[in-house]
Amino acid sequence: MRFKTDLKNIRTFSKLTAALNSLEKIAWVRLDDDTVRFTVIPDTGSQVWASLSVDLIFDNYHLQSAEANNTINLELPLGPLQRALKSAANSNHANLRLTKRDGIPMLSMTIHTITKEAAGGGGRSSTYDPDDPFAAETSDIFQQESLELTMKREREKVITQDIPVRVLHPDTVETIMQPKVREPDVHIQLPPLLQLKAISDRFTKLALTAAASASAGRSGGAANANPKLELSANMHGSLRLRLVTDTLDITSVWDGLDNPELDPSQLAVPLDEHPSTRFRLAGADKWATVRVDGKDWSRVLSVGRLEGRVIACFSDDHALILYVYVPHYDDASGEDCVTYYVSSYSS
Amino acid sequence: MVLNFTLSEEGVAVFHDALACMFKFSDDVCLEARKEKLTLTTLNISKSAYICFTFAANRFFSRYNFEGNAQYRDRFFCQLYIKSLLSVFRTRQGDPSRDKDASIERCDVAIDDGPGKKSRLVARIACRNGITASHSLAFEPKAPTHAKFDKTQAGNHWSISSRTLRQLMDHFGPGIELLDINTDEENRVVNFTCFTEKSQKRNANSNEAVLKKPLHTNIAVEMDEFDDVQVQGKLHIIISVKDFRAILQHAQLTSGDLNTTYSDPGRPMKLSYSGDGIICEFILMTVGEKDANTQKHKNPRANTAAAAAANSGRNPQTGLDSGSHRGSSVLANNDNQQSQRQQQQQKTPTRGPLAPRQPQFEIRPPPMPPPATARSDSLFVGQDDDQLWEPVNPDEDDEEDDADNARLEWNTTANEPVILHIPTSNSSTTCKLTKGAPQNPSLRISSYLPRPNAAEQTQNESQPTHLSAGLEPTQRLSEVRRFGLFSP
Repeated sequence: MRFKTDLKNIRTFSKLTAALNSLEKIAWVRLDDDTVRFTVIPDTGSQVWASLSVDLIFDNYHLQSAEANNTINLELPLGPLQRALKSAANSNHANLRLTKRDGIPMLSMTIHTITKEAAGGGGRSSTYDPDDPFAAETSDIFQQESLELTMKREREKVITQDIPVRVLHPDTVETIMQPKVREPDVHIQLPPLLQLKAISDRFTKLALTAAASASAGRSGGAANANPKLELSANMHGSLRLRLVTDTLDITSVWDGLDNPELDPSQLAVPLDEHPSTRFRLAGADKWATVRVDGKDWSRVLSVGRLEGRVIACFSDDHALILYVYVPHYDDASGEDCVTYYVSSYSS
Repeated sequence: MVLNFTLSEEGVAVFHDALACMFKFSDDVCLEARKEKLTLTTLNISKSAYICFTFAANRFFSRYNFEGNAQYRDRFFCQLYIKSLLSVFRTRQGDPSRDKDASIERCDVAIDDGPGKKSRLVARIACRNGITASHSLAFEPKAPTHAKFDKTQAGNHWSISSRTLRQLMDHFGPGIELLDINTDEENRVVNFTCFTEKSQKRNANSNEAVLKKPLHTNIAVEMDEFDDVQVQGKLHIIISVKDFRAILQHAQLTSGDLNTTYSDPGRPMKLSYSGDGIICEFILMTVGEKDANTQKHKNPRANTAAAAAANSGRNPQTGLDSGSHRGSSVLANNDNQQSQRQQQQQKTPTRGPLAPRQPQFEIRPPPMPPPATARSDSLFVGQDDDQLWEPVNPDEDDEEDDADNARLEWNTTANEPVILHIPTSNSSTTCKLTKGAPQNPSLRISSYLPRPNAAEQTQNESQPTHLSAGLEPTQRLSEVRRFGLFSP
């Protein structure tokens, strides 16, 4: 079993890792000849299936496995991966390979980097500036700061970050299946996630505050620590976020959003019979609604850092799925999509 | 007036930085004033780190006047709480939006002591907006503890830009506690390796635990980047990451270059740098290879050595021979050790023929983490500080006699690279830097002071004619032996 690759688009990789890490600490990574897939399934909360073309984040990719279809399945802690990618962020070159240290499998990241002397930061102004040859003009009892020092040749440093991993047997992962959901009633492109997240978080905090003050008034009584938000969308470009508590009922509505066209060739049913067509014909008052957990939703929305286009698919009172299309900064055009199965609650 | 001096605005800031750095190691600081210099020293609770900042009287201060009195003729010393000093010397922000500038113009400090006088340190801070704040601090007349580091015994040294090193430390992730500074076989690079033994101890074999291990980070820096470098090949020196970070955080403020000197595992390491009128020195205890000597060894010879050390460990005088840190090399006789050491002091990339080659890293038992420093204002977020929140166990001290957990103490039979001197007015004792952290928070340096710890040899460095960092002991140990304070 061999895996060795150079890294590219480290920023994108790092952001994806951060987004996944906000939901769960450990990911299942599946590597094969064409795609690298990250799957995160928390005990409670939304699960994520991210499928990226190898070319998006890897270069000079070498994979060799005895498993069927040349795949490697790994269990990988996301925190250390994120930390290692941070190290690699401004590097000249970084690669990743599967290896063993003390008998324990490791994903070893080798980073070639240069420190920035100028960006030392925090240096206390002129008097102690080591770059100033006049700073140490006198006193022979104190060490002289020579000019030569500042001319010091800067060499490349080699940083090795070893991330502990577990190699999974194909049998273990065989049973893990991507969820199947019925055709969505409404599909809509979400507004900028930063905006959506700010408002959602505001609602969640309000709900928590309201619950806390209510329970304080009633002396005891379990405060609802997991407020639910109501998300609705129609086929006429509107998205509605709503919070209802004993004392509050607030709603935020976005209009003029895009309901992307469906590609008939990709559909299991003719376009005319597709649920979204019925919702479109039923008019702007026909909403598909799901309820999501405020805190979980906030973690889901952290995927906004990827700056991709996000399509939300609503199955009324049933499910919410987000498709996040990872933007490409180079010419590559793969099917790079991060799919969020947002855990939803019945009303 | 025993002592008075004036600090400029810049001086106050530098003074504050120094105290803030010390505060990461200890709660109190010893101030020692002489004619030509002012010294701040402290020793951390577990006595694994000694810090000494020396300020030049004629260079650092705008004005400096040591008068002394009958009691303190040559030098004055006292102990103060760092916290209260920090609040005195904190930098005031000049606010340009207001018409008055609240920044510090100067700071006058006066210390008075003696019969019939109030023993106080009085600091008068004059701000540019015309406000003068006076602080009067009480102090304790306590003699400082000084650690001495014998450079001649430490053959390995290098120096490098502290900013470069500080930036490299950013690559280390959270949850690590040990830093292993080592060289590879060809002696091309110096490696800084960060790791922890923590989670491994709990449940090494459990699958989940494997993934919970923190990132294992290694940074290889080419020899070319160091100045004045001479390091023995394949040598592993392990210190606490927290201490190292605390030092670098301060070092990057003051100076370009950080100098380190060290000898062998289990022996102290000295780090120093200097700024304008200030010398900063740190002596850190490094983790000895035998610290966990009951743990499994792959090498039977090392096992024997460890067992021998464990047996003799009952006796603090002969216990934990720091000379035997190198596994099988303990079997070499004294002459061998001597010649080996000499070789180290010469060009030492290759080890002497008498030193048996061994797969050093493999046989080295997992080292015990060095004691956590009292405070851990880490510069880095997400630091795992669990240990700090553990309930205090007053019995812990007693249990440390277990061979497993034994304190590392100085071997008194061999030449010592470091001896701590406690010069007091009437006697001079030597105290040991100990390993293994006494967790008892009430345990202070003071509780060790009356305890006579014997050491056979004091090695005085040649008395410097110029201002030098640190302070020299006042008496030789042999001179006070007759007082019967020491065991034979």
